[in-house]
Amino acid sequence: MHLDPFELSQPTTIEEAVRLRAEHVDGSDYLAGGTDLLPNYKMHLNVRPRLIALGNVAGLDGISLDRIGAMARLADLERDRAFASSYPGIGEAIREIATPLVRASGTVGGNLLLETRCFFFNQSEFWRASLGYCLKADGDRCHVVPQKEKCYATFSGDLAPTLEVLDAEVEIAGADGRRRVPLERLYDAQGDGIHRHHMAPGELLVAVYLPKDARERVATYLKLRVRPSFDFPELGVAAAGRFDGDRVLGLRLGLGGVETRPRRFDELTDPVVGSRLSDERIRAIAEGVVRQSRPVHNTFLAPEYRKRMVGVFVRRALTKVRDSARVA
Amino acid sequence: MPSRAKGAAANGAEATSSSSLKITVNGLPIDRPCPPERILLDLLREDLDLTGTKRGCDLGTCGCCTVLVDGRPTLSCLTLARLVDRRSITTIEGVTPVHGLSTLQRAFVEHGATQCGFCTPGFLVTATALLEERPHPTRSEIIDAISGNLCRCTGYTKIIEAIEAAAREGR
Repeated sequence: MHLDPFELSQPTTIEEAVRLRAEHVDGSDYLAGGTDLLPNYKMHLNVRPRLIALGNVAGLDGISLDRIGAMARLADLERDRAFASSYPGIGEAIREIATPLVRASGTVGGNLLLETRCFFFNQSEFWRASLGYCLKADGDRCHVVPQKEKCYATFSGDLAPTLEVLDAEVEIAGADGRRRVPLERLYDAQGDGIHRHHMAPGELLVAVYLPKDARERVATYLKLRVRPSFDFPELGVAAAGRFDGDRVLGLRLGLGGVETRPRRFDELTDPVVGSRLSDERIRAIAEGVVRQSRPVHNTFLAPEYRKRMVGVFVRRALTKVRDSARVA
Repeated sequence: MPSRAKGAAANGAEATSSSSLKITVNGLPIDRPCPPERILLDLLREDLDLTGTKRGCDLGTCGCCTVLVDGRPTLSCLTLARLVDRRSITTIEGVTPVHGLSTLQRAFVEHGATQCGFCTPGFLVTATALLEERPHPTRSEIIDAISGNLCRCTGYTKIIEAIEAAAREGR
């Protein structure tokens, strides 16, 4: 597969990158690791005439215990000993992403802003032309839930649920300067598979920040996928908790791979704070998440199965967090 | 090319079809024009005739196209050639001694770790980098390291055994 010709910019500062993107707001994409964007370009999915490569931009790199640069390679984060020993839960999530070869190029920012996926979208141009194009690329209808308004493509990043349950924040650069928002609020609850972020066109993800108490949380990430390597999640559940003996000091639960955004369920986990995380409470939380989650028929496994597995994975994740906190 | 783009090329910000690429491939310096959309795999196979690096899925799933960029295993099918400007590339041809085979390659032969052979260059490059970083990997580290390389013939067991044998023998 060959790429269609495009212009390539290689800015060296954040300001220059943002300015270039603003100049070509409808005709460009930022290029980070390329492991998601370039396959899509090869399949002629929403190709733009200009790529703005971020590899030479100063200020997007670096890994420390409270800050991860958006251009940090997933493999580098995985291998950073200080980081890995402080955040084993993040390590679990990273090792579930694609393959070591993809992680060697793929970046943290790229995984957080991963293009949503759908088996009517991630297909060759020939395949899509044969069926008729979809809302997300070149067409005007959705083949998953037949209508013309909303795209149901699934958010398939593995890192976001884990960073959300650790209350990570992200720094965003735009024409008007920098701002910081909780990662969870980066994703638009009223959006869809196309309009997914609270980011203005041209804004650039700079870094992820972890709060001080993130290191005190026991976290885990469990992923359902068809093959144990490479595959995107059919669902992913992240959980993080802080405990004083049996008493819950804080509990967070995140779900990805099911809907158009990774989301948290604070309304289900907050009531547990101050009490014991019993098996009954875990089961009740799991039932609550299952009730709210709405997988559709756009990934490999059937939505009915994924919905049931949401409950199983939530139970497993919460039980694991509780029991490993006891051991620690 | 518009003159603006040409002017910008002087400070390195813009790559145009007229921009030249300077890389080292298997120790040899290469300096040639390279358009922005040129994928490293195509540059190696079609421009430099280094056809040992294979095009499998072309989407990053199979690992057949793995090369080393500054010693690091990299999917050449998902790498824009322009973005490895001034870097050092090692392909399967580069990890093969001028005469004979490397310890790892011999181990692949002796253990029957190759059948149709299409995936073998990718496995060899990935495993070469693994043994460079960890001369004595555990079995599970080997399995993890090659989990981005697909083989449809061997069932992996013989590949894992070959890498273990090469590690025992030392490169």
